[in-house]
Order: sequence, then structure tokens, then C-alpha cells
Amino acid sequence: MVFEPKILGFLCNWCSYAGADLAGVSRVQYPPNIRVIRVMCSGRVDPMFIFKAFQVGADGVIVMGCHPGDCHYLEGNYEAEKKYNMTEKFLKLIGFDNRVRLEWVSASEGTRYGAVVTEFTQQIKDAGPSPAKDNEELLFKLKALEMAAATDRMRALVGRERHITEDENVYGEKVSLEKFNEIFDKAIKDEYERAQVLLSLEKGVNNVKLLAAKLDIDPSIVLEHLLILKQRMEIDFGEIMENTPVFVRL
Amino acid sequence: MSEEEEEIRIGVFVCHCGSNIGGYIDCKSIAEWAKSLPHVVFTQDNLYTCSETGLAQIKKGVNENNLNRVIVASCTPRTHEPLFRSCIQEEGVNPYLFNFVNIRDQNTWVHQKEPEKAFEKAKELIAMGVAKAAKLEPLEKIIVDTTPTALVIGAGVAGITAALSMANQGFETHLVEKEAEIGGKLNILDKLYPTNQDASELLKSLKKRVNDNTNLTVYTSASVKSIEGFIGNFEIEIEQNGNVKELTIGVIIVAVGASLFTPTGLFNYDGQKRITQAELETLLKNNQVESSNVVMIQCVGSRIEERKYCSSVCCMVALKNALEIKERNPKANVTILFRDLYTPGTYYEDYYRRAREAGVIFIEYAPEKMPIVEDNQVRVHNEYLGQDILIPYDLVVLSTPLVSNEDNKDIAQMLKVPLEENGFFLEAHVKLRPMDFATDGVYICGSAKWPVDITESIAQGYAAASRASTIISHSTLEVEGATSSLPEYNRNLCTGCEVCITVCPYKAISKDENDEILIQQVLCKGCGVCGATCTNHAIVIRHFTDDQILSEILAFGGQYDGV
Amino acid sequence: MGENSKSVLIIGAGIAGIQAALDLGDMGIKVYLIEKNPCIGGRMSQLDKTFPTLDCSICILAPKLSECYRHPNITLYTLSEVQKVEGKIGNFTVEVLKHARYVKEDACTNCGDCAAICPVRGVKNYFDADLKTQAAIFIPFPAAVPPVYMIDKDACVNLNYGICGLCAQNCGAEAIDLTQKDSVLTIDNVSAIIVATGLDLDENIAPLSHYGYGIYQNVVTAMEFERLICASGPQAGHLKRISDGVDPKKIAFLQCIDSRTQRAQKYCSAICCMYTTKEAMVAFEHNDELESYVFYIDMRAGGKGFQNFLGRGKDEYNIKYIKSKIAKVNVDENESPIIVYEDLDSGEIKQMTVDIVVLATCIIPTLGLDKLANILDIELNEYRYVKTDPFFPVETSKEGIFTCGCAREPMDIPRSVAEASGAAARAAEVIRGG
Repeated sequence: MVFEPKILGFLCNWCSYAGADLAGVSRVQYPPNIRVIRVMCSGRVDPMFIFKAFQVGADGVIVMGCHPGDCHYLEGNYEAEKKYNMTEKFLKLIGFDNRVRLEWVSASEGTRYGAVVTEFTQQIKDAGPSPAKDNEELLFKLKALEMAAATDRMRALVGRERHITEDENVYGEKVSLEKFNEIFDKAIKDEYERAQVLLSLEKGVNNVKLLAAKLDIDPSIVLEHLLILKQRMEIDFGEIMENTPVFVRL
Repeated sequence: MSEEEEEIRIGVFVCHCGSNIGGYIDCKSIAEWAKSLPHVVFTQDNLYTCSETGLAQIKKGVNENNLNRVIVASCTPRTHEPLFRSCIQEEGVNPYLFNFVNIRDQNTWVHQKEPEKAFEKAKELIAMGVAKAAKLEPLEKIIVDTTPTALVIGAGVAGITAALSMANQGFETHLVEKEAEIGGKLNILDKLYPTNQDASELLKSLKKRVNDNTNLTVYTSASVKSIEGFIGNFEIEIEQNGNVKELTIGVIIVAVGASLFTPTGLFNYDGQKRITQAELETLLKNNQVESSNVVMIQCVGSRIEERKYCSSVCCMVALKNALEIKERNPKANVTILFRDLYTPGTYYEDYYRRAREAGVIFIEYAPEKMPIVEDNQVRVHNEYLGQDILIPYDLVVLSTPLVSNEDNKDIAQMLKVPLEENGFFLEAHVKLRPMDFATDGVYICGSAKWPVDITESIAQGYAAASRASTIISHSTLEVEGATSSLPEYNRNLCTGCEVCITVCPYKAISKDENDEILIQQVLCKGCGVCGATCTNHAIVIRHFTDDQILSEILAFGGQYDGV
Repeated sequence: MGENSKSVLIIGAGIAGIQAALDLGDMGIKVYLIEKNPCIGGRMSQLDKTFPTLDCSICILAPKLSECYRHPNITLYTLSEVQKVEGKIGNFTVEVLKHARYVKEDACTNCGDCAAICPVRGVKNYFDADLKTQAAIFIPFPAAVPPVYMIDKDACVNLNYGICGLCAQNCGAEAIDLTQKDSVLTIDNVSAIIVATGLDLDENIAPLSHYGYGIYQNVVTAMEFERLICASGPQAGHLKRISDGVDPKKIAFLQCIDSRTQRAQKYCSAICCMYTTKEAMVAFEHNDELESYVFYIDMRAGGKGFQNFLGRGKDEYNIKYIKSKIAKVNVDENESPIIVYEDLDSGEIKQMTVDIVVLATCIIPTLGLDKLANILDIELNEYRYVKTDPFFPVETSKEGIFTCGCAREPMDIPRSVAEASGAAARAAEVIRGG
């Protein structure tokens, strides 16, 4: 049977959704694989929506907003781009980064809307069905990604990125983009691992040794994560079994 | 939260839109199928859901089945959502409990050759719509006061007309002009077609009407420095001679006009022997035209690859100036080289005939074989004769288009309104909302939108005044209720991190005296960026809540939350 | 401002009259909207698509029709004509003749049971350019506003011979009143009047017979063609030749039919170049092997986005434009029209055989405008349109009476809408003492 991918699109009301309507008015024909969720601004697209979509069976997710400078809400699309970049980085960790796309489509670009959807549909067809379907390990990882992206640390970093890299702090210092990206990439890796730790605890994988084996990380790093998670009051020591402390999720 | 007790009863109305939807997919069976969706208690298919009959069917459906959520699957919320919202409101259902599913513009129209797949897609989209509808919450619009004042930017003929009409309707009106004199292009024109009266006469009468009007304040050599606020309550700064004046304004009309195009490098333009129509106007005004062999070339710099549009006024300007030269010197030879003569309607076509009768010679040229302006003659290829025609000249006049003003960008940015590909302002809808912008309370008229002549500028000036008046004729107006909020039940989640304040593009979020986050509903436009950023998921974007969008995503995956 | 007792009366509920009514209504001003037809929406409601966006016409119009019908400040009188006007600016008294509909507007549910049982068939439907027939009791089109049936009094056997009455017996809503009479309403305190009577088309068969219209079946007018390609029209949008029902391969669109000529109307109808391109595009959408040829004199495409629209026509819709003058239209043995024309680029006389010829007939002032102008005491110009001054484009010769749209000159929809708002502003100025 021919593979017909399921694609979810998040379209901003003012440009991309209007562009999609214009494609209709102009009778531009494109593959019927996309399902659209209308949001007022592409900046409304919370990264968790994308991780959730992959968990429920999306083969591809596309976010569309106004062209830079054209945002109906001035700068919402820049915020969308920051969020999208983070999402893409997270998805790269599990090889899903070829299943997402961010595009700018204006209200007058009906033809381009059709072309973008056609091309993205082909890209997903080429990539094949999402391996996450009925694959517990990948679903576990996607859930971990969703949790990691939802942490206040990641959200604050994304929310403050432009502020941090473009404005000076009270000491007259400005963080360079490279420095910021370094911190950011480290945070992505850390938070993903921590989310996996949390999820594993729920499944009874509850000591350093077991966690290190399951997540394939150095035990010292696992311990570090556990200590930070304890600080965050997300986990606590449970009992000591076979000379190893057991952790529980709170 | 008290609503929780109420049973959710959803009605789904599937529109055939004549054959626009019904011609591709079986709406009846979709309506039948929709009955199987959670919370759906009533479904129906309608030939035109938006017709009076269709609306009556919705009302009947609501009443007879106690519906408290309504879905219409048809065209697009961008045009029809207000209609259906007010329809259910009339039956006592909160308008925000309506949800739209687009199965035409984004489905049957774009998958015309795959109707089976469009059929399946329509069902899935309706399922997603139903899932969201189940989570919708009633909202109220916010009532704000309006200030009965108008600002008109640009005092050309369109702007003056708009300002006079607003002032005559009794509104305090402020007219801002960047030049030292009001009147715009009337200041440089000699005569006006099709009456051939002096431009200065019209200008004089407009100036008198402006001066006599006590509701109207004019600022010349002035510019609008900043625009903050929103419909009914804009805070404006006008700068004039280094002084800044602050005003509270209810509505804004953009009438900044267009610019003349200088044909540098085209047809040997030199501003002396080869000039533009605008330069000819000045010569005519000063009685300095002595040429007896005049050749005019149309579409210079327009209807070409880099500027595709027809400027629509140049043919009439050329005819008028040709007639004027003939009038002053009947022996003069005037030749007009054209591609398509643009004289639509009654009097303009008359005018064309008059020019022919007066002996103006018309020769058509093809864009593939442009006329060549040589030192003392113009060479133009004539397909009919199959050879070049050589026309001697002592004056060549180039008809150049009106082009958009360079500073349109700045004004567009201040007002948050869009420009189209040629830099002219882009209205809300080309066909039926020609004077409106998508942004509420801001209107457009005259050549700022598209090149138009004096007659049309005047009509549009009045038109913009009418549209603006519909707003400030009332002391209050309703503002969108689908905004961002920090509900009481989420207060404990707020960590006070202030990231929301950082990302809000409208400065609608601040901290109050108790150091608590405060969201100004009237300033909020509902973009939802703060909600998608809030580090502890405390902010709720009404009508686009996490819960609502997640339920759509689940339905996309074939799952129903809470079922 | 004491506005409450004052009102504006608008004659004609096409898109111009509707826009003027909505603007004034939204300003809080009372409006009387008078329409001679059984439903509102005028010419725009008959169109399939609109240029240059190819928006579905009824789709963008329908919300306005409903809004107008439901507006608390707008009182709508259909099947009505102004028959007498007295007074002056600020205080006109207007007499309106309301023709009997024979169906009660507030009772009819638009179910159609009456038409199903009506024994009279074959009555021509004006809305479908007489291409479709109906019963003697009918609604002009499915989305008509008001959504109410009416009886064609010339066709109804009860009204003419006193027999039948099946419709009334069959109407569950008891909405049919065969005894209804024409009535006269007097409207006082009208501060201003807006004439928005729109256009008619010159479809007088005698002059058009020159192009074979009325003689050859496959020669149609642009308005007829508009209905033929309309999804809700008599052929459900799937264009076929009238003579044999065959899918056309080649269509010729002849421009400036009886306009820009000494023989008939001298003026330019202003919108034909664009609507012709649109009609060719829509026909192509139903049949992508279609070739269209537009025979024109000057291509008049000055409005916003119009040149791009023409470009799309050439590049994507297989439309070819031939600068030409038409000599004559004949037909061959298959009823296929043969166009004899002078190619203005080469000067040669040529012929082309096509499947269908579409005539861009001249726009003329609405029939009966002369009579209305007499009643209103306003001047018409030499072309029998409402006379206006180029620098006072929405004022008639009489103070307090304004005009807009095709009542004063042929023009497209955006311009009509703009002028309608303009006339509304001037009427509001009168009411507000400016």
C-alpha cells in the first residue's frame, strides 16, 4: 500500500491560514495529507504540541507564520522561531529533525502555500512512516523530550534568548550568541537526560546503576542529575536496597 | 468553572456551499457520521449554511436540541465566523462556543481531483473541531470607551476630503501634512481632466473649506512620530517645527498619496527636451510650451517586468496635456505612442474621442518593440505597416507611473498594517473592504492604496470617512474577549519570573503594586506568545488554551480526551 | 444630535446600496432600503467568481446580505419602487409602492413545498438570465435574502383565472396570501436619499443580431455565460454548448459589443476586459483543455492587481488576446460560430471557428432610471446615467440626493463599494448638520 503520511500543520491566522485559504480560492492543488490547527500567531505554538503530535501518530509537523517583519503581532514569529529551533534541536536527539519544518507563508502566497505543503508531504513520504508508532522506546523518548522542553529552565532560556543575546545586563555585559548556544545545547542534553531519569523512575528503573545502563550514560552523570532533580524537589531518596540508594519520583 | 456541571451538547452543521463542497464530497453522509463523535447530539447538512435558511436551521437545531456548542463545517472562519457567532448568540449561546471547520478553502477546493481523500480529510477535520469545541469556554467581549476624534495622515485631495467629511460630521479632526502646503499633487497640476478647469481653482476652494471648518486642525510641515494604543484610543505624537504634540485619537485615515517616478535612463530622458508629464504640467502652467512637434510615450516605467502594474491615470493626463497643447497651438503636431489606451467609462472615452477629433495622432507600439528616442526623431515600429515610422520632435513627453512613497514602510510599521508588492498599502479585502485595513480603526484612501485620479480620490476620501465614522459614532466599542489571562486558579503557579513581560509585543503585561503579574486585557491582542512561553504554564490563552489545542492534537491522532 | 428621528432612504439594494446601508446603519442612522427585485444583492449575487481574487462572489456577499437583513437600523422593502418624493434636503417625504408578493415575508419558512406542488412550469428565471425555468411560485436562488418565496403574478393561474390555489392549501406555514394587494407606504423625515440603482445590460436582440445573438444558439451574452459557468447555475458549472450539449474546446470572447462605437453606445463599459478574463479562467477550471480567445480593442486593466491577473490568464489559463475589430459572426453546419475579424496588429482580415461566442454587451443605466430621475427631480447625463460633477462624484444635481456605483457610470465592485461608503458619508454629513 502506498504510504500516506499524516501531517499536522500549525498555521497563524493572519498570514499562513489566509495564504492557505487563498490557495483554495486560487484552486491550487496539493496533497490531502495535511490537517491544520489554526492559532492566532505562530508564536502560540508551544513546543509540547509538536512532541505530543508525534506521540499520537504524526509523521510530520509543520509550523507556518508570517514572514519576518510581517507578523500581525509585531514579533510573534521571532518567538516562534526560537521555540521551533529548540524543538528541532530536541528532535535531532532522536533523529526526528527531518520530520519538522518552519515556514513563512504570507496571506498573498496561495501558490507558495501549495508548493510548501506539496514539498513537505514529499519529504515525509521519503522519510517513511514515523518509527514512533507502536514503538515504546521511541514513545518513551518523545515523552522525555516533551517533559524536557516543558521545564522552566528550557522555557526561560527560550523566552529570554533575544533579551540575553541582544541586550546588555545590568553590568553592561552582553552574552555572545556562541556562548548562549553553548549553554543552550548543554541544557538541551541535560534536561533530556533528566526527563528520561524521571520517566524511568516511574517504571521502576530506580538506582544509579540501572539508570546508567538503561540510558547509556556515565553513572557519575546520572548521580549528578539525580542530585539536581532532588534539589528541584522532583525526586527523593527512598530506601537503600542491596547497598544502593533507590530514588522515587515525587 | 461552575459550567462543569452542564452537559456538553454539540451540534454539527455541514455546508454543501452549493456544489463547492457538496459537489466533491457527500455532506449528508458526513453529517450522519458526525453523530458518532463524542458529545455530538445533533447534525445536519445545509445547502448554504450561511444563507438565511441555513442560519434559521442552526437556530432551530440549537433550540430543539439544547445545543451549547455549535460547529459549522464550511468555508473559512476568516470570512464567516462572525456571522455564525452572532447567529448562535441570538439563540442565547455564548458566541465563543462556536467552532469553525474549514472543509472548503483548505479541502474540497484544493483536492478537487481526490474527492475520496477530501472526504476522509473533512471527517478528520470535523473530529478535531468537535474535540476542541468540547473544551471551549464562554467568553465576554470587553467594552472600551472611544474618543470621538480622527487623525488624517496626508493632506492631498483624498486626505482633505476625508478630513472635511469627518469634521462636517462633527468630529474633532486633525490633518497632518509633511509638506509646507496642503493640496498634494494639485499644487503641481495645470488643468484637471475631464473638465479642463484649473487645478488651482479646486485647490483654492478646498483650502477655503478647510480654513472655514472649526472642527478641523491642520498641521503642515509636520509628521506623525509615534502611534500607540488601539481602535478608539490611539495615542499619537505629531511633530511640527521641532515641537511634539500629543493627541488621543479614535480613528486614523491614511491618505499619504503616491510619488512621481523619474525615468532616469529611459528614452533618453534629460528633463529638458525629453521630460515627464509632471514637468510638462509646470511648463504649461507657466505658459512655456513652444514646441510644435510633441511626441508622448505612454507606459514609461510601467507595465514592464520590474513594475507590472498600469498606473491608470497617465493616459488621461497625456490626453489632457495633448489637448491643451493643441488648444494653445492648433498647428502643433501631437503624437501619442501607446500600448492600450486607458479611458474607461463615459466621460473618459468621450475625452479620448475629443483628442482624436482635435487631431492628436495615436500610434500603437508593442512592448517587444519599444519606441527609440533619437536626437530629433522618435522611431516606432508599426506592425500594421510592417516598418518603422520616424516622427520628428522638439519635445518628448514621457508618461510615467505613480509609484509608492518610500516612507510608506515607516507608516506601515507604526500602524502595524501591510504593504503589497509594489509598496502601496494593502487593504483588508480588495473587493468588499476597499477602505479598511485588517487592523481595526485604521482606514486607507487615495493613491496611497493604488494610483487613482482626482475624482476617485475624492470618492475614496468620503468613503474612508464613512468607514471611520462607523466606529466613533458610538461612545464605546467592544474588544475581543479571546485574550491572554492569568486566572486566579493558576496564581499559585506563577513564579514571577517575568519572561511573559519580556516576550509581550504590546507591553500588555506588567507587575502591579503587589508585585503580581497583571495583564491589561485591552492592550492584549491575543497572540498567545506569553502562554507558549510562560515557564510554569500559568498563563491561559483564552479560546486557544493548551487544553483545547491538545484535544485537537489528540483527535488528529484518533484519540479523544476524556472519552 | 437628534439623529434618531432622521433617516436616509437608499434606492437599490445591490452591493452599492447594501454597503451604504450598512455604513449608515453602523453609524447608528436609520436606513430605509428600497429594492425593486424580490431579493437583495443585485448583479453581484448573479456572478460566479469576482476578479482579480477569484473569490466566490456569493461567498463574500452572503454575509453582507444577512447582515443587512438583520441589521436593527435597516428597514428593507423588496419588490418596492419609489413613486413620489416631496420636500427638500433634510426633510424629504417619500412614497413607496410595495408590490404584492402573495407570500407573507414573516411566515414563509423557505421550505419549497409550494413550488413542488405548483402546476405551472416553464416560467423563466430572471436570476439565471432566463436560462432556467421554474414554477409560478419561486425563490430566485437558494441563498436569496429575504429567504422568502413569491408568486409570479403573470404566470399564476389563480391570480389570472381564479382556479388552483394548491400552493396555499399545501403551505404548512400558512404563508401564502393570494388576496394580497400592492400597497403604498409613506416615509417621512428622510434627510437624504442615495440613488444606488446600478446597471442593466444592453441585451436588445436587434443590434446584437449583428453578432448572431438570438439567431445562433451558441452565441451568448456575458451575463448568460456567467450563469452557465456558475456552480449554482443552470448547467451546474459544467459548461456545455447550448445547441448540442457538447463540451466546448474553443471559446471566443468579443469585447466592446455595442460600446465604444458610434452605432450604439459611445462609452466604454469599463469592466468587460476584466470580467471576460475571469470568465475564461473559470471556464478553464472546468475544462483544462479549453482555449480562450479575447477579441479586444484596448486592454483596460488599471485597477489593483489587474495586470497580474491578465498575466495569470495568459500563462496559466490558456487565454490569448487578439487586438482586433469584429466584422461579423456566421456559423458553420455544426452551429459553430465563425468570427470574421480584422487583426489590428497585422491589418489582415481573418476568420476563426469556435464552439461558443460570448458577447461583452454594453452596460447601460438601470431600466426605468429616466422615470425615477423625474420623480426625484435629478438630472441625467447624455448617456442617461445620473449626472455628477467629476469633483463632486457622489452628489446629484439636487441637494440632499446622492448617488454611487453604476447608477452614475459603469464601474467595478470595489469602486462601487467605495463610492457607496462615500455617499453614506455625505448623507451622514447632512444628518449631522455639516
